[in-house]
Amino acid sequence: MTGIPPDMLDGGLADDLAGASLAIARRFHAGATMWCIAPRWEPHAHHMAVEFVHPVIMGKRALPAFALCSPDVVAQARVSVRPGDIVIAVADAGDSAVRDVMRRTPAWGALSVWIGSGARPPGGAADHVLWIDDPDPLAPATGRFVIMYHLLWELTHVCFEHSGLLSAPAAGCTDEVCITCSDEGRLAEVLLAPTSAFGTALVRTEAGEERIDVTMVDPVAPGDLVLIHAGAALTRLDAEAMR
Amino acid sequence: MSVPSGTEATGFLYPFIDSEEKGTESLLADLASSARSKVQKSSALQRSTLVDCAEMLANAGAEMAARFASGGRMYAFGNGGSSTDAATFAALFAQPITGRPLPALNLAADQAVLTALGNDVGFELVFSRQIIAHSSDRDIAVAMSTSGSSADLMTALGEASRRGLLTIGFAGYDGGQMAGTPEVDYCFVVASQSIHRIQESQALLGYELWATVQQHLATDRHRAIDQVDPISQGPGGTA
Repeated sequence: MTGIPPDMLDGGLADDLAGASLAIARRFHAGATMWCIAPRWEPHAHHMAVEFVHPVIMGKRALPAFALCSPDVVAQARVSVRPGDIVIAVADAGDSAVRDVMRRTPAWGALSVWIGSGARPPGGAADHVLWIDDPDPLAPATGRFVIMYHLLWELTHVCFEHSGLLSAPAAGCTDEVCITCSDEGRLAEVLLAPTSAFGTALVRTEAGEERIDVTMVDPVAPGDLVLIHAGAALTRLDAEAMR
Repeated sequence: MSVPSGTEATGFLYPFIDSEEKGTESLLADLASSARSKVQKSSALQRSTLVDCAEMLANAGAEMAARFASGGRMYAFGNGGSSTDAATFAALFAQPITGRPLPALNLAADQAVLTALGNDVGFELVFSRQIIAHSSDRDIAVAMSTSGSSADLMTALGEASRRGLLTIGFAGYDGGQMAGTPEVDYCFVVASQSIHRIQESQALLGYELWATVQQHLATDRHRAIDQVDPISQGPGGTA
């Protein structure tokens, strides 16, 4: 069916939208900026940004949101995104630039939201995957993506009316913490390679910048993604390895 | 909120944790239910809008196809979210996934032109001045709006009409000024009071208009460019 089917949100998409909206509201509440990308359909990136910056309903809060439309959107997102921010994309699962941005978001400390249609990205490709399974390649032009981010905006503002629920539960209380050293494996992106054989590399993680030992994965180059644990890089992630 | 470690037997000390979780659950259920109801409303509005506009879609699509076939270009423009919908509409024509690419431009795309005109002659003229500079009488002007009355769009549609362009307006509510002026040849009105629902139905109207034009250009013996110069054709066959 061309256009928006009445049952478009069946099969869990309504719950996915609700969960994404609460997560977005919590991030904005804590001071986030939203970064919008849509390399194949750039107007969607602009539409998402203007939706949050200049609300259609008078009196709703103006929120910080930007469209990123550089030909090298990975580099543009890398320099723009700060820990605590939100990255939202409208793209096919096969969009290599968006895949690359999404797999870096844990190292940047950003919440990731991926809107698309057709074949799904691999599980865990983003924190919130809002997907229409219809393979019609023209779905982006029939209002289905527009309603998806309209709803995200509307529901995010509903969440703001529940101020008691806007503080996210503290992170770090999961069962995945290493008991031996209380330091879980974290994703990091290399900023500066070591300048000497036994020097440390400067990396960024969701907690900020730190120096780590990279002797186990040497050599590393700026932009490499590494998994770090207890102050050392354990392994390098290949370009196409998803989260 | 931080939860102390080792809370097995101390839950009674933190009753607000339980109440918060219940609050989140009920909020998420409300959000999901609100989302479903809005999708159903939007879907129904899309269907009724297509039925209401069926004859106009057929006629406007035929006229647009004839203009493209004789070498005409399309200019799409709007403000805010509607400007992005106009850009999507223009991209659908110029870079379609299937069908024939057709010359279509988004008049809000160039920040140099937009800010030069806005600063020097005023925002009301940002699109009409571009119509004056770019257009010929074979061309098509498409304005996307929810109110149907934005001054910059009405000025541009008036200019386009005087210059012989085919003029098409997308509006919401009761159609606003676009619905009442002879300067707009076809005015597609989405009968809704919600800017979001109007834009969602306008997206489908735009898609249907594009599909109609494509059908005409596939079945008619029209050519997208009437005078093809074989020398200027590249290896890919694009002029």
